[in-house]
Amino acid sequence: MATDNTQPGQDAAIVFEPKQSRSAPVASVGVIGWLRENLFYSWFSTIVTVVVAWGMFEGAAYLYDWGVTKAVFEAESRRQCLNTSPDGACWAGIIDWMNGFMYGRYPDEEQWRINLGGVLLIAWVLPFWLPNLKGKIGIGMSAVMVYPFLAAYLFLGGERGVFLNLMVFLAITLLVLNWVHVVLFYLTGRTLTENLVRMTGFEHRPETTHKYPMLALVAVVWGCVYAWLGDWQLELVRTNLWGGLFLTIVIAGVAIVSALPGGVALALARRSTMPVIRVFAITFIELFRSVPLITVLFMAVTMMPLFLPEDFQLNKLVQVMIGVCLFAAAYMAEVVRGGLQAIPNGQYEAAKAMGLSYWKMMNLVILPQALKLMIPNIVGNFMGLLKDTTLVSIIGLYDMLNMLKAVGQNPIWIGLHKEPLVFGAAIYFVLCFAMSKYSQRLERTIGQGNTGR
Amino acid sequence: MRKNKLLGIAGGVLAALSLSSGNALAQSSTLDTVKQRGHLRCQVGVPSPGFYQLSQDGTWSGSDVSICRAVAAAIFGDPNKVEFQSVTSAVRFTALANGESDMLSRTTTWTLFRETQLGLDFTAVNFYDGQGFMVPKDSGIKSALELKGATVCVLTGTTTELNLTDFSRQHGLDIQPVVFEDNNVRDDTYIKGGCDAITNDKSSLASSRAKFPDQSAHIILPETISKEPLGPVVRQGDSQWRDVVLWTVFALIGAEEYGVNSKNVDEMRANPPNPEVARMLGVEGDLNKGLGLSKEWAYNIIKTVGNYGEVYDKYMGDGSPEGIGIPRDGSANALWTKGGLMYAPPFR
Repeated sequence: MATDNTQPGQDAAIVFEPKQSRSAPVASVGVIGWLRENLFYSWFSTIVTVVVAWGMFEGAAYLYDWGVTKAVFEAESRRQCLNTSPDGACWAGIIDWMNGFMYGRYPDEEQWRINLGGVLLIAWVLPFWLPNLKGKIGIGMSAVMVYPFLAAYLFLGGERGVFLNLMVFLAITLLVLNWVHVVLFYLTGRTLTENLVRMTGFEHRPETTHKYPMLALVAVVWGCVYAWLGDWQLELVRTNLWGGLFLTIVIAGVAIVSALPGGVALALARRSTMPVIRVFAITFIELFRSVPLITVLFMAVTMMPLFLPEDFQLNKLVQVMIGVCLFAAAYMAEVVRGGLQAIPNGQYEAAKAMGLSYWKMMNLVILPQALKLMIPNIVGNFMGLLKDTTLVSIIGLYDMLNMLKAVGQNPIWIGLHKEPLVFGAAIYFVLCFAMSKYSQRLERTIGQGNTGR
Repeated sequence: MRKNKLLGIAGGVLAALSLSSGNALAQSSTLDTVKQRGHLRCQVGVPSPGFYQLSQDGTWSGSDVSICRAVAAAIFGDPNKVEFQSVTSAVRFTALANGESDMLSRTTTWTLFRETQLGLDFTAVNFYDGQGFMVPKDSGIKSALELKGATVCVLTGTTTELNLTDFSRQHGLDIQPVVFEDNNVRDDTYIKGGCDAITNDKSSLASSRAKFPDQSAHIILPETISKEPLGPVVRQGDSQWRDVVLWTVFALIGAEEYGVNSKNVDEMRANPPNPEVARMLGVEGDLNKGLGLSKEWAYNIIKTVGNYGEVYDKYMGDGSPEGIGIPRDGSANALWTKGGLMYAPPFR
């Protein structure tokens, strides 16, 4: 043997010397091995592989040809596109209508308000991704409770009532204080409340009084903001002008934000032992789950006004939002109930044995575990919701889908119907894929430190 | 006309059921409500070339949209004081019955059933449409009666499909219908030779043809196999409001007949060529009183929107770049003086 290096004539004692293992056959390792194992395992799989590869190649080549090589990116009208390249995509129309897809019929000179609303939202949620920051719950609560009022006023404009005045300036106040808190926290290592308590000397007083300096600060800053921006007023943009991706995100956003608390409440109610609450929850959930969303929207928009007094004019968008929120909550309730049922009874019993009240048991023991289990389902539900909002196009709201369809009916771009839909599909894919990836990240980070399950 | 007709009827029945509250709405005058609100709520359909189309900056235009603008101009003197509501045909009558819209101007065919049982009042006809056929030019077909044994692409769930079978039976043509849900798919199939002809309302055929790469290779056959008189619609039971909408359309038609258009209307008002024009433009008499509008109502319409011919040429005709190419001469949409059906009663 080539590898045998024991000398002849030496001591006859047998020394065990392992033979060097032969390397695996070329055909079973590396790229070739992988190919053999997965693509060309038998004659049947070989045929399937070849057919599928050919199909994919042809499809990709056709798409590339249509969408890139032969496509027209600059043209005045679809007729011009057709004259330039009749077999290619006419992306010029998409570029021309981009503003419409994003903002719908919102007036051009007011669109900065939508952008500002988006920037403010990012500024609001940015602290969530900062490491080791305390007080994220407060920031989250302020984002959910007061940001919507600020955003609603930014988008809608017009005159502010007393309540809206209060909320809009409260929102600005809290945004400022959130960031003061973030900066102070990284400088001093203490939260804003703790800093305030120290500075004002409240540390020697009972702990229940520690919130007063914070409340006083909010009031003072609110006053300053009010003095600064009290006369500030935006032009009214009625909701029938809202549209495009902006409208899609507004409706889906409101539904998503309200679905989770609504769903948790309904799910708890359904598992409650109190008969009235349970029957109400079951009726509500089953009623909304057994009718299609389009029926809910239809009822909300066309039938509801018939039952209301004559002068009572509801806003169509608000009607739609109420409908979508109720619908989303009913579906979310069942997802949450599934999560609750996955928690072993021992957890409930242990929590009760420790003397926790019902709400403490839910908040401290059950829901944190259950919500973590539910993340994939919740996000799946959110994606469904985002896509379901296209149904509002049927009742005359100009969401992105309706704008995409309107291009081909405009005399300049008449007949342009494939390209807008391809573009819309791409936008929805980006949004849903981002949500999906974020949920996976969330599962990992929340799962840390609690790997037992 | 238009698709989802059956759904539309279902929606209409719903609207009729709710008539009790529709009547309650009618008790307060629509005209007063509109004036008080400061703008008109006019319902159009989902974008459709020629009739109502959306541009990328969000403005509506088209021949039916012009009717809305004309009514707004008659009331407020400003064609932009309109809130356009664009809903699918399934909801159209419900949205009118529940008071969401003040009027409909959205290619709604005038039929006895709708007029009597859906709580609607039709006003004047502003476009005479009808179902026809389109074939490739090189097929050599000159008349719909030559379509023996042909395959014809048609949209499903519409009266177009029923009209086609009736026509085929009546003339023993043995036409094979190929049904589609979506007109874009139907047009693609036709272009690729999947059927010998397509059938739809002629206005819709014209806008389909406008999409084709080579428009001149297709002709619309002369036969019209159905009657589709289209016009604005209001709620039943408010005759003052109906008069306003009705005479707005008549003002458009009458202005064309008397040669008044948006360019010469000032001159015409300064020295009216005949007493009829003088009365229409509010120089003489007080015709406006019965309508509850200002003296300049017709002047404002013509000044800001134009007369019927101007509107037709801009959006429907074959002359302008925006038009979808439906010739007017010799059709029912020509003035009565030119052999058509467009006729306005006297302004007196």
